[in-house]
Amino acid sequence: MTYLFSNARFAGVFIMLLLLSGCARNPVLLQSTYQALPPHTEITSVPFYAQTEFQCGPATLAMVLNHQGVDTDVEELIPQVFLPGRDGSVQPEMLATVRRHEQLAFPIRGTMDALLNHLAAGDPVVVMQNLSLPIYPMWHYAVAIGYDLPSETLILRSGEIGRHTMSFSRFDATWARTERWGFVVAEPGTLPTGITARNALEALSAYEEAHGPRATLSSWQAFVKRHPTNAMGQFALGNALYADQQPDNARKAFERATELDEKMGAAWLNLGLLLLQNDAPDAAREALTQAAALEGSWQEKARLALDSLNND
Amino acid sequence: MKTLRAYLSTLLIAALVITSLPVAAAPTAPQSMDLVSTQSVLAADRAGADRERINEILARADVQDQLVKQGVDLDEVEARVASLSDAEAQQMADQLEQLPAGAGVVGALFAVFIILLVTDILGLTDVYPFTR
Repeated sequence: MTYLFSNARFAGVFIMLLLLSGCARNPVLLQSTYQALPPHTEITSVPFYAQTEFQCGPATLAMVLNHQGVDTDVEELIPQVFLPGRDGSVQPEMLATVRRHEQLAFPIRGTMDALLNHLAAGDPVVVMQNLSLPIYPMWHYAVAIGYDLPSETLILRSGEIGRHTMSFSRFDATWARTERWGFVVAEPGTLPTGITARNALEALSAYEEAHGPRATLSSWQAFVKRHPTNAMGQFALGNALYADQQPDNARKAFERATELDEKMGAAWLNLGLLLLQNDAPDAAREALTQAAALEGSWQEKARLALDSLNND
Repeated sequence: MKTLRAYLSTLLIAALVITSLPVAAAPTAPQSMDLVSTQSVLAADRAGADRERINEILARADVQDQLVKQGVDLDEVEARVASLSDAEAQQMADQLEQLPAGAGVVGALFAVFIILLVTDILGLTDVYPFTR
């Protein structure tokens, strides 16, 4: 009887292990990733600061910001990003703190392929992991600085370890628990490769909120160069050019936005308002008529502008 | 907290009503009409506009309160709130308690230690680098 029980226990443990290891399968990398990327990359120029206590947020930020040439250190960053009540740092503030240092933070697409591509392009990636299990989370920020394809290993600056190597599968298991959250840092006017248009728009817009349209102009120009057919990008560029007192170029950007997306009421409206300011009432009327005909948040404003123009 | 919120809402509603009055009364002076900002268009992509603005301002007040409660230096609170984008402020206000806070490896209970040791060996977690 006891014999049977101990056998059953063994069987149970064995099945548990099988089940658990079943989850730890290798993350699938696209074949194109293997073909397109160099087999080994390591961005050794990223400095390392060991974290003390719960300060992995400030430590990772110091590493990537110093790598960008920003003059700051962990001591300065702690009061800017660390939340004493939570014994840690939260994601929105990680991004916001990067912007405080006049750099842009771009969330990356959450796949291993995207991560490796950023590393190959020379951009270190701040990643958020849950090193433990979901029921007992240990949230952690680290900086991915390289990889080795043949051995399927990722290289990180993590916690107190300056060069932490980790198999793709183990890393992906810990990364997947944060929905594969990570970001790269770039200076204004540059756009890291591989960032989705949507993520870039949000990142640039957030930077503009903090530092104003003129400081963001060069970034919008870079965005439009990368995504020439993105109507929202042209619209945003128009606004930045307008703020920079280049009404002619702004008008061209707004026109381009309306060509790319005829249903973009805000672009028609801004084009109309700009033409109105530049004493071109006929062209303004045309643009405002378009804006007033489109349903949406700007219809009302367009109608008002059109009415007052017609009453003059 | 509640009273602050109520007070602020009233104030905001009043402010918005008052500022919108002149436009309704006299729709003249098109020269003064500002261009639509990139942020408001992106925000409208996410949700509706004017109500959104009230929410955002309230969210910032909320976040400020919460940061103070979480022990952030008073000198820093304002700068930290200001550096958040509207979307981020909203996210912080809605779910600061649930947001994961990256901290790194900290001591674990003994039972948890054993489980994590096993999962570490299996390559599921990375709590104890000495397992390799």
